[in-house]
Amino acid sequence: MTRVILRRLFSLPFVILSITIITFLVGYLAPGDPILSMMGSRRDPVTYERLRHLYGLDLPWYEQYVDYASGLLQGDLGLSYRYQGRPVWDLIGNGVFVSVQLGLAALILSLAIGIPVGLWSAIRQNSLWDRAGMTTMLTLYAVPSFVLIPILRWINYQFYIHGLPSLPQAGWGRPEHWVMPVFVLSAASMGYIARLTRVSMLEVLKQDYLRTARAKGLRNRRIRWNHAFRNALIPVVTVVSPSIAFLVTGTFVVETLFSIPGIGYLSVQSIAQRDYPVIQSTTVLLAVAVLLMNLVTDLLYMLLDPRIRVEA
Amino acid sequence: MSNSTSNMPSTTQRLPPQSHQTAYVLPLFLRRLMTNRLAVISLIGVILLILIAAFGPMVYTASPITPDYKAINQSPSAEHWLGTDNLGRDTLARLIYGLRVSLIVAFYVELLNISLGATLGLLAGYFGGLLDVIVTRIADILFAFPGLLLAILVAATFGPAVTEQFGGIGRLLLVTGSLSLVSWPLMARLVRSQTLSIKEQEFVTAARSLGATDSRIMLTYILPNVAGIILVSSTLDIASVVVNEAVLSLLGLGIQPPDPSIGKMITDATPFLDANPLQVLFPSLALMLIVLSVSFLGDGLRDATDPQSLM
Repeated sequence: MTRVILRRLFSLPFVILSITIITFLVGYLAPGDPILSMMGSRRDPVTYERLRHLYGLDLPWYEQYVDYASGLLQGDLGLSYRYQGRPVWDLIGNGVFVSVQLGLAALILSLAIGIPVGLWSAIRQNSLWDRAGMTTMLTLYAVPSFVLIPILRWINYQFYIHGLPSLPQAGWGRPEHWVMPVFVLSAASMGYIARLTRVSMLEVLKQDYLRTARAKGLRNRRIRWNHAFRNALIPVVTVVSPSIAFLVTGTFVVETLFSIPGIGYLSVQSIAQRDYPVIQSTTVLLAVAVLLMNLVTDLLYMLLDPRIRVEA
Repeated sequence: MSNSTSNMPSTTQRLPPQSHQTAYVLPLFLRRLMTNRLAVISLIGVILLILIAAFGPMVYTASPITPDYKAINQSPSAEHWLGTDNLGRDTLARLIYGLRVSLIVAFYVELLNISLGATLGLLAGYFGGLLDVIVTRIADILFAFPGLLLAILVAATFGPAVTEQFGGIGRLLLVTGSLSLVSWPLMARLVRSQTLSIKEQEFVTAARSLGATDSRIMLTYILPNVAGIILVSSTLDIASVVVNEAVLSLLGLGIQPPDPSIGKMITDATPFLDANPLQVLFPSLALMLIVLSVSFLGDGLRDATDPQSLM
């Protein structure tokens, strides 16, 4: 097992290196001269050269990459094109914080609802509850967030015009701003987790050792919670990785549509202003964050499942 | 059982192997698909959507782009079958063109997936060695970007310049390219692993010992056996490509206004939800219709091509 972990840890820097290379290349190959568009109509050769030097664009591409990569290592994401000389981190630093809050809340919500719904559906297999629960979860999984948002807003609006308590349509800051975005963001992974938990629990409930436990005369409750539940949860750990991938794309949509000043919203706005270093930094940050989280879940999975530990 | 009887004539009539494959396997797989009611309905739905996208503008001639400020946010009427949006543009006309965009993007993404992803997967799985290492590594690296992130980055960085240079068509191609960037690695991986297991089977060894060349083994012995997987996964992938195109467009990175895209139509109409909820409803329904019919068709194809369910 240590070998597997070591191999994973060893390959991690190379994957991160490739991520930065690709991100750098996309930015490098981007057509157009950023300095010229930055200067607009006020063109003078001296300032042009000075800015080119400030942004390191007068260097050959490999030196630009080395600068970029060593900057990243020190937590320096580079300079914004839109706001001359301002570090990208100034622009998106707060956004990172907001997005992390939003993403964690969504992940926790999807686990907190997805797992119990999946477990109950498995225990009451083919009951009305099972069918209703799984249909709802399948819908949440299949309906894209940008379709879910108008539906929720319409319901919210009906509450509003009938004088019932309603939520703000968009914005960020107060706790009631969280409800709709977090729910929408968690919807897809919630459905996914619920369905997987159900399958995994059904699989465990069929096992011989549960029949043994029942034959021993153990109570249903004890069988379910002590014997079945814990084993059923192991595969669920693996879903966390794909769920995080859902969250990343979802972040862009949800933040943009709810005007939440997170990293997704800020980088979409910066695209409109052709401030490419921002979207580049966002890409690197998100990709590396997801990579690390995947590593953690994989290690957790190995830790939880003795079979994998032995095979490895 | 039905399998063995339908294969019988090929041995008694001594047909050449190629006609054996086309004449007997294909109808069998189609016949099996036809027994799946949901898949048939979905297939009809997909064909209808394609027909609407192709011939809709000839029947329904309203402009999808010209605004009519005297007819803003209208309900469905004889003049505007599905009403108008907040700028007075005809919703049905915009939907038809949006459908066109979705289907064209999906078609080209799958074309790239098959010609690039499936081919590389087949070659990598068959030859192994350095080629395999390179293809797998590239796929792994592209996989390291979660979700649509890489597509967003590429579409965002190249978008404005491409639009300036090549206009709407260029933008369409850029969307296609960036979306296939996130979906071809999966195709390559699937085809590669399937090829790896097939090339070890006896009939491939037999073909090789008879002196078949590599290209012949790949094309006549391995390709027919991975064709099912390619067909199924590219059909299922269409659903996510359609949704992804909508996401790119609503983020402002895909199809540019005033050209219609279903995703942008939904989000553009959302602020006017209280006045005219139908303008959100129609494009959402259209999108779900595409996604569901393609998904059910893909599931049906999977059941129909799966040799294990032949028994």
